[in-house]
Amino acid sequence: MKMYKLAGEERFLLWAVCSIQLQVLCDKSGEKLLLLAEGLLKKHIASHSMHEPEALMVYISLLEQQSKYNDGLEVLSGDLGSLLMIEVDKLRIQGRLLARANDYSAAVDVYKKILELSPDDWECFLHYLGCLLEDDSIWKYFDNIDQIHPTKHIECKFSHLTEEMFDSRISSASDLVLKLQIDTENSNLRGPYLAGLEIEKRKFLFGKKNENKLLESLLQYFHKFGHLACYASDVEAYLHVLSPDKKTEFVGMLVKNSDSFSESATKVLGQTTTILKVQELTGNIFELPIDEIEASAVKLAKLYCQNLALSKDLDPQESMFGEELLSLISNMLVQLYWRTRNFGYLAEAIMVLELGLTIRGHVWQYKILLLHIYSYVGALPLAFERYKALDVKNILTETVSHHILRQMLESPMWVDLSNLLKDYLKFMDDHLRESADLTFLAYRHRNYSKVIEFVLFKQRLQHSNQYLATRVEASVLQLKQNADSIEEEERVLENLKSGFQLVELSDEIGSRTLRFNEDMETRPWWTPCPEKNYLLGPFEEISYCPKENEKKDREENMKLAIQRKSLLPRMIYLSIQCTSTALKESVETNGSKGDTKISGELECLLEEYTKMLGCSLSDAVEMITEISKGARTSESLGSNLVEWLNFAVFWNGWSLSSHEHWHVLNSLFERLILDRIRSMGSSDMSSCYSDVQVLVQIITEPLAWHSLIIQACTRSSLPSGKKKKKNHQQHSDQLSSSPMSQTIKDSIQSLCSTIQEVSNWIQNQLDNPEDDQVERFLSTLKRAEDATGGPGQILGVLENVIASSEEAEVGNRIFDALKSWNTADSARKTVMAQQRVFREFLQICESKRKQLETVKQQMSHV
Amino acid sequence: MVCIRRATVDDLLAMQACNLMCLPENYQMKYYLYHILSWPQLLYVAEDYNGRIVGYVLAKMEEESNECHGHITSLAVLRTHRKLGLATKLMTAAQAAMEQVYEAEYVSLHVRRSNRAAFNLYTETLGYKINDVEAKYYADGEDAYDMRKHLKGKQNHHHGHSHHHHGGGCCSGDAKAVETTQPADAKAVSK
Repeated sequence: MKMYKLAGEERFLLWAVCSIQLQVLCDKSGEKLLLLAEGLLKKHIASHSMHEPEALMVYISLLEQQSKYNDGLEVLSGDLGSLLMIEVDKLRIQGRLLARANDYSAAVDVYKKILELSPDDWECFLHYLGCLLEDDSIWKYFDNIDQIHPTKHIECKFSHLTEEMFDSRISSASDLVLKLQIDTENSNLRGPYLAGLEIEKRKFLFGKKNENKLLESLLQYFHKFGHLACYASDVEAYLHVLSPDKKTEFVGMLVKNSDSFSESATKVLGQTTTILKVQELTGNIFELPIDEIEASAVKLAKLYCQNLALSKDLDPQESMFGEELLSLISNMLVQLYWRTRNFGYLAEAIMVLELGLTIRGHVWQYKILLLHIYSYVGALPLAFERYKALDVKNILTETVSHHILRQMLESPMWVDLSNLLKDYLKFMDDHLRESADLTFLAYRHRNYSKVIEFVLFKQRLQHSNQYLATRVEASVLQLKQNADSIEEEERVLENLKSGFQLVELSDEIGSRTLRFNEDMETRPWWTPCPEKNYLLGPFEEISYCPKENEKKDREENMKLAIQRKSLLPRMIYLSIQCTSTALKESVETNGSKGDTKISGELECLLEEYTKMLGCSLSDAVEMITEISKGARTSESLGSNLVEWLNFAVFWNGWSLSSHEHWHVLNSLFERLILDRIRSMGSSDMSSCYSDVQVLVQIITEPLAWHSLIIQACTRSSLPSGKKKKKNHQQHSDQLSSSPMSQTIKDSIQSLCSTIQEVSNWIQNQLDNPEDDQVERFLSTLKRAEDATGGPGQILGVLENVIASSEEAEVGNRIFDALKSWNTADSARKTVMAQQRVFREFLQICESKRKQLETVKQQMSHV
Repeated sequence: MVCIRRATVDDLLAMQACNLMCLPENYQMKYYLYHILSWPQLLYVAEDYNGRIVGYVLAKMEEESNECHGHITSLAVLRTHRKLGLATKLMTAAQAAMEQVYEAEYVSLHVRRSNRAAFNLYTETLGYKINDVEAKYYADGEDAYDMRKHLKGKQNHHHGHSHHHHGGGCCSGDAKAVETTQPADAKAVSK
């Protein structure tokens, strides 16, 4: 403001106005300031007028922010309006202001004008229809966009319209659409035709019984655009409103009608792919019998092979014809696996996608599908390799890394994980640091509206759930990596300000709205978000409810999970501190109360932690006690098992002098770990990786923290410097004879033998010769001569082509790729990746066990 | 059904997701931001009917020898949405904005010699002409065509009454505030 007063330049004034707007937008308070800003601008316009389109945009948005739509319209139609050079831009603003001022009939005219200028403008068509039907729900949809891909479901309101009104307005919309269709007949625009579908949908939602008409329109749209890759996503919203019967009927209609259109190979290919995608979208494919799905997959595989030649002359970076078929086949195979639990299907899905990648190395869908299948079967290093091949960097680390992050966090692959976290945090931190410069850049170019957008964008990244979670996880990872040495751990804790920093973060998160920037649409159907994996449960037909419903829950759960995790470092720190007090208490009979401040704080955190697990501290204690006694099963802990164990560890850390608590904790570890080992039995990695993941977490988190507390206990019972030497004998006599020492020794013993069980189990797995495992993997794909169904059919089709393809037919690039394919190699890679996970895990277990043995020895020397 | 509209900063998330699905793009995010914050009128996205971003064009203004001209930095269309005329529409929108908002004299771009599809689009559909060949322009050693198309330029002068017209008119910004390390090549992936 001061600069404006000094220089009198427009840009300084707008700088001030933008700052006010931002303040109001971010704090949602201080609306009176907007009035002030408006006054300033008015005064400036009166004396200097206005010279830049961006300044005008700011002025209008300021008026909009105060819901002064009519004032905005006045400005736009006045002299200043001429600052906007592009006619359509001006009309769009005008339409928006009219609509928000509820002047619907005028808005309809404006939108109609835009549509005549650009008949393919979908957003404009929706506004047109909204205004025509006096329905403002669309604005809520545009105001509330928090996803990369905004929701496909726009609510519609009709209750204020009589049937007669609805009919007459819809018929005028139909007239317009028909006109647009005729006008654009030769330009192959989808817009006007899709608009026709939208009108049928509105009619249907209004209560007109026009389901058949809607189907017919969808079919017409298929005739016109069914061969295009965008057909399925175009009609998704219309399929969703259909009843299940009608969806099935529609799929039937498509199948029947596609055969009559076979003028060109690419068109047939496109249509067939479309039909499959519609089957997926409608959920229809989950209702088909197994043999039908198999037959359909085989058909697709043949189609893929037949059309290989079409891609003969394509540039390597271009999409191949029929590329999507392999993704669709693999989706079917995963479903077959889910339904039958026959691993062969999953192995076949891997082979189909790997072969696809051999032929066309850049197909991102194959890489994503593979990375998820590899993750599921515990071949995590391969999953990570496929992830890296996606070349995820820059902002993609924010939108795409959800594909791999969670699996890595639950794995023993700490080096790769650490790099993943570092790269992501570096990008985000760099960006946040540079954003001041960028804001200034926008100011300098006088792009005021972009200043506002950019600051809000920065906030969106700053409040990203993934960013917050990763910050916490990066700290926790350091703690995990150093947990075998209490001195190292204390250094890490010191850098984390004794864990205090993250406790503050947790408090902050509580009052924040988290943002979700992840692009979930690229995930496979069977794991729609990182927390969900249908394959882990029994087969059920998936009802394709809109994914948005899950969003609210997810936000709440994520928030709690991040908050819980951010308390960990502080609880570790406090537990370590508590040990010295507890030891003193048990030795000194007269025991002063020790540092009650520390234990008080720990108690508070424990209360907070259990609250976030959904119960009170006393209920939580009761829960773990009952489980340790076998009075309850571990299932009652649900998916938060590891966090419950964390709680148990720190609860024990808080009340070290109670022998009973130590005992509860020991048997808790024993029970939960041995239960898992027993249930895994001799099954191989591919079928029990989710159990392995839980074990990895138990050993690397709660068990590691507990072993730290034990180290701290021993340390405070041992003489640490010369000063104490004098008292050494007396002190240690007391300790070694104290019941406390016995308790610790018992705990070490119990932990060691539990870890040993885990190591033994892993070693057993590793003892299986690699060749045998590869053989077993391949045998799931072998088919008996007379077999009618089962895994291996599709691979058979593809391998036949490999054997019989000719260079002249498919071109040398594809030919060379086909010849380089080797099924056994692919199987071996999977097995080797699984083995690597085991080796990493075994190493962690062994070092934990050795550490505890050392502590035990130290204690017996005392 | 597609709407060609100006990009917003939020669109960057989806625009880069486009890159995952088209061709790996070597621009850092600040390079995108540099464009959108400096010349927001020149960034257009193609938004499909369900709100998905399926293509975009990234462009900027440059000044060389007092001749104000635009430059197309990047053009991308999702593989699923090729052959629908989106690239043409995006390019037309950006060119029109260069002409109307910045009064550009001409627009330039680089294209890989091997990218036949893009080359055809530029020459046949959009009327670009080869101006020069830049040897080994791309990191992998491939040559680039330097292409140009003339715009109507300053014929309709609107800025006459502006009394604080900055610097050289159209190109008020410079890139110094934000370091941009990559070469500005137009990677045309549309067909």
